[in-house]
Amino acid sequence: MDMNEEQPRVEDRCIPWSDGTQLLEDAAERKHFLPTGLEGIDTLLGGGLRKGQLTEITGQSSSGKTQVCLYSAAHVAARHMGAVLYLDTSNSFSPSRIACILDELPVSLIKEPKDVRLKRVMSSIICESVFDIFALFEVLDQLEVSLNGKVHHDGNKICLLIIDSVSSLLAPIIGGENSQGRSMMISVAMILKKLAHKHNLSALVTNHMVAGNEAPKPALGESWKAVPHIRLMVSRDRRSNICTATTLKHTLLASGRRMKFQLLPAG
Amino acid sequence: MNHTDEEAYAALRGCDMAPNKTAQKLLLQGAQNAWDMLSEEQSQKHITTGSGSLNDILGGGIHCKEVTEIGGVPGVGKTQLGIQLAINVQIPVDYGGLGGKAVYIDTEGSFMVERVYQIAEGCISDIMEYFPCHHDKASSGQENLQPESFLAGIYYFRICSYTEQIAVINYLEKFLGEHKDVRIVIIDSVTFHFRQDFEDLALRTRVLSGLSLKLMKLSKAYNLAVVLLNQVTTKFTEGSFQLTLALGDSWSHSCTNRLILYWKGNERCAYLDKSPSLPVASTPYAVTSKGVRDAGSSSCKRVRVM
Repeated sequence: MDMNEEQPRVEDRCIPWSDGTQLLEDAAERKHFLPTGLEGIDTLLGGGLRKGQLTEITGQSSSGKTQVCLYSAAHVAARHMGAVLYLDTSNSFSPSRIACILDELPVSLIKEPKDVRLKRVMSSIICESVFDIFALFEVLDQLEVSLNGKVHHDGNKICLLIIDSVSSLLAPIIGGENSQGRSMMISVAMILKKLAHKHNLSALVTNHMVAGNEAPKPALGESWKAVPHIRLMVSRDRRSNICTATTLKHTLLASGRRMKFQLLPAG
Repeated sequence: MNHTDEEAYAALRGCDMAPNKTAQKLLLQGAQNAWDMLSEEQSQKHITTGSGSLNDILGGGIHCKEVTEIGGVPGVGKTQLGIQLAINVQIPVDYGGLGGKAVYIDTEGSFMVERVYQIAEGCISDIMEYFPCHHDKASSGQENLQPESFLAGIYYFRICSYTEQIAVINYLEKFLGEHKDVRIVIIDSVTFHFRQDFEDLALRTRVLSGLSLKLMKLSKAYNLAVVLLNQVTTKFTEGSFQLTLALGDSWSHSCTNRLILYWKGNERCAYLDKSPSLPVASTPYAVTSKGVRDAGSSSCKRVRVM
């Protein structure tokens, strides 16, 4: 008897390959764009946050990063695209703000009354507070287990994962002589990209800005820059309340383009 | 028992819980959906600042489960507001307050207990004015309304170095577990010890961002408000020196809300600079002998000694 027959074949150990046409088909059929609901940003991103990809928003304090996250959560859930998991590190997830964003949305074709919609949408946005890197690993691990279990029926599968902000979890451990923090940062990056790829979800993370030599720069710098597919910078004019988004990195479209967008007045 | 994941899920599907609900429970123990959070948020009470117009721009007062940073130049009223909040959090539930207690972490030694007594008296006299009938019949509640009991409801830590400050914040988790009635933690000021004797600025950033996450966690876990008082510094931007809050750009991300106190001529003003749910707004306020109040309510303009 041949010994080799007992062993799994080498092809079985390797993940299956696919060719370009399959990829193109997959891109067209499954890699949908999730709208942020902010016109300027959706235009910049070619339609919104893409499934399978990691999008990063960077900007100074109070520039509108969290608002973009809240808008995206509200719009994706409102358009029946799936559930949203929101990981909040700075107690800034505001349900009342989401309710306010939803209230301004036009009532859809199926004439779902506003109060019914509010409850449906709010129920499919799940929020968890995460205050250290280990808690983040745990949550992402649980998420993976749950997605593998396929318990969710299609309408409620998580399609958008938001971490606001990933940089504040990493800031206490990065830098100095210890390189452990850096390796944890890379682990986070790998897990996020794996989740996005395998479960066809879109990941949105925020990265705060710190003072640089000349201009402010993103807190997670050069070695993180390779991680997100798209890096978007937002800034806000204090007087006019008009925000500007600039693509710093985009894997598909030219970078350096900018668009203005406006947030709804709060309250 | 050796079940594979699939078997476990199949078993759960068999339960009479909706699959969705099961999944959510399985997914994350601490997670909540936004609908439940909204109704919870709407039933929350806020801590009044003592000034109606200041409460308005803050959406009703200082919110629990959030970290609010209050910054301003020396003498504009940061500590006054801090003390006022430590008193106001104790307003009994019968009188529309939270009936909680306060933790006051003093790093600068600016907590003047005589002034606290005075503010407590001012708070009580205002309560009596708003609830005259309540005062007559509620004899049991009346016992509580003594300035002494307000003073007893403040747990005070005097911190003399940044090591002590880190230690006390680490200890708070245990302390708050034992004192569940604490609804506000005030740090006056978070800056003081970190502005001196700290050579390695990168280390300072790491320590501070760790502290801010701990405070975020405490505020959420114990449903309390965290108020951080911060000093100002000058920063060279766009060709001129401008006043900004101390501790740098990295720190500026580590609060949920930011309120900046400033002078506008002879009037004290507050400016809500950052909030996830409220618009940027400003309003005048005043510091009277009774504490923080609306501007123009009485002769409250401070005579500035230049």
